[in-house]
Amino acid sequence: MNGLDLLAIGAWGVLLLKYWLTGQLAVLIHPNYFPLTVGAGFLLVGLTVWQGWVRWREPGQPQALAPGGQLLPRSWGRFLLLSTAVVGLIVTPRPFTSQVALESGELWNMTRTLPQQFRPVSRPEERSLVDWVRLLNTYPEPDAYQGQKAKVQGFVVHPPESPVNRFFIARFVVTCCAADAYPVGLPVDVREGTAQTYKADTWLEIQGQMATGQVKGQRRLILKADKITPIKPPANPYLY
Amino acid sequence: MAALQQGLTLFFSLLVEAIPFLLLGVLFSSILLLWVEPEQLLKILPRHPLGGAVAGAVLGCLLPVCECGNVPVARRLLTQGIPASVAVGFLLGAPTINPIVIWSTWVAFRDQPLMVWGRVGLTLLVAVVVGWVFSVQKDLRPFLQPAVAQVMPPPMNQPQREPMLAGVPTGNFFALSGGKALPLETTGWNASRLLSRRGRWQMVWVNALTELRELGAVLILGTAVAAAIQVLTPREVILGLGQGSATSVVAMLVLGTVVSICSTVDAFFALSFAESFTAGALLAFLVFGPMVDLKGVSLLLTVFRPRAVLYLFLLAGLLTFVLTLAMNLYL
Repeated sequence: MNGLDLLAIGAWGVLLLKYWLTGQLAVLIHPNYFPLTVGAGFLLVGLTVWQGWVRWREPGQPQALAPGGQLLPRSWGRFLLLSTAVVGLIVTPRPFTSQVALESGELWNMTRTLPQQFRPVSRPEERSLVDWVRLLNTYPEPDAYQGQKAKVQGFVVHPPESPVNRFFIARFVVTCCAADAYPVGLPVDVREGTAQTYKADTWLEIQGQMATGQVKGQRRLILKADKITPIKPPANPYLY
Repeated sequence: MAALQQGLTLFFSLLVEAIPFLLLGVLFSSILLLWVEPEQLLKILPRHPLGGAVAGAVLGCLLPVCECGNVPVARRLLTQGIPASVAVGFLLGAPTINPIVIWSTWVAFRDQPLMVWGRVGLTLLVAVVVGWVFSVQKDLRPFLQPAVAQVMPPPMNQPQREPMLAGVPTGNFFALSGGKALPLETTGWNASRLLSRRGRWQMVWVNALTELRELGAVLILGTAVAAAIQVLTPREVILGLGQGSATSVVAMLVLGTVVSICSTVDAFFALSFAESFTAGALLAFLVFGPMVDLKGVSLLLTVFRPRAVLYLFLLAGLLTFVLTLAMNLYL
C-alpha cells in the first residue's frame, strides 16, 4: 500500500461522507441505502487513517499478497480513483432537468405501475404528484376526479406542441438510485397566454381543481390552476 | 452541458450505490485468502463438474455479495485452486441466489410468486449449465488474465512438470511450527500460514485495500461507460421494443446490461416496467442483469481474458433468451 493509494481510497471515503453531510446523497440514491453508503464512508476513512498510522509506525509491515491485476497499471488505478473523488468533491450533483424528463418520453405514459406501497390519501389536496399518478393508474377514469381540489409541487416541463395555456408539472420517481429515475407528471392549464411565463425547471406549488380535457388526442385529467406559487427546489427532489 | 450534468449525476449515483458492495466483496475475498485454507474448501466442494457448478451457484447463500462483490470473491476462489465449474457457477449464480436478493425480489413481486421462483430457478439453471460447460476446459489458465493464472496452482490431476524425488524433496522450504515444511513455490497462495494472528488480520486489511484500489478503478471505468450510454441513447429507444414476445426479451436483456444497477435492488426497478413488458422479459432482466452488465464486464476482465468473457456473455445471454422466450410463448 503506497501512500498515494491510501490517499485515493481515503478520498472516496471523504466523498461518501460529504454527500451524506451536505444532503446531496438524496440527489443520488434512495434513502433506504443511506446507511450502507454512510457505513462504507466511515469504514474507508477509518481504514485509511489506521493503515496510514501503521505504515508510519511500522514501515516494515508486509505488503499485499494479491498480485496487482494487469488490466490497469497500478498508477492508473490510483489516478482514476483519486481524480474521480476530487471531481466528486468539487462538483455538486444536480437533479435531472425538465429536458431529461421530456427525452425519457414517459410523461404521457401512464401504464407503468409504480412500485412501493400504495397509500390512499383521503383529502385530495394532500395528495402529492406521485399519489395522483398512482391513483390514476389504479382507477384511470378522469371523470372520477373532476372538481376535486389539488395542491401539488413539482418542476415545470414545456413539451413541444402543447397548447399555449398548458405546461406539465413533474417530479422524478426513484426506486434505487438516480440511474433508474423516471418522471411522472400532470398537465396544468393556466390563464391564456401565461404558460410561457413559467420557465422550464422552475419549481412551483400549484393549487387548483381537477378537470378533464384533451391531451395529445386522449381524454385525460388536467389540473386547472387557481394559484401558482414559486417555491425553492426541495433538498430532496425525488418522490418514492 | 445539461447532458454532462446528467451524466455526472448518473455516474456518481451508480458509484455511490456500488462501492459499499464492492467493499464488502473485497473484505470477503481477503478473509477467504488469509483465513480459509484452500484444502479445506476443496475437501468440502464436490468433485463432479455438475455438482461443483451447483455448489458454486448456491455458495452465494453463505457469501451474500452482489455482482460488484462477487468478482473479487470468484477471483480469489480461482487462485485458491477451486475447480472452474464452481467458480463460474458462483460468478453467475451468487449475485442472485443469496438471501438479500431473494428477499428484495419477494418484497417487490409479492403478488407474483412466479417471478421470485422463476428468477431463482432460471438463474440456477443458467449458472449450472454455463459452469458445467466451462468445466470441460480442464486447465482454465489459458482463459484467465496472466496475473490470475500465475498464482493459480496447476490442476490437481495433472502430472507435475518435474519428476519428484520421493525420498529427498529438493528446493527451498519454509520451516513451519510442528516440524512441517512449506515449499517456497507454493507460498504465493499459502504464505498466510507463516504469519501470526495479528499479522494475518493486518494482511486482510492491506489486501482488501489493494484489491479495492484495483477493482474500484475498474468499476469507475465501467460505470463511466454505462452512464455515457444511458445519457446518449434515450431510454425510449429500448422501451419502444416492449410488447412482442421476442423483442421485449431482447429489449430487457439490453436494458439489464446497460442500466447496471445492483442485483440487490434491481427487482424494484423491474417492477416499474411490470405493465409495459411481458413477464418473460422481466425475468430476462432479473436473471441476466446481475450476470453481465456494463460496469461488471470491466470487473470480469480483471479475471478472464476478453475471449472468455465473450463466451460467458454469449452462453448466459442465449440461455436466458431461450428460456424466457419459451416462458412467454408457452406459459
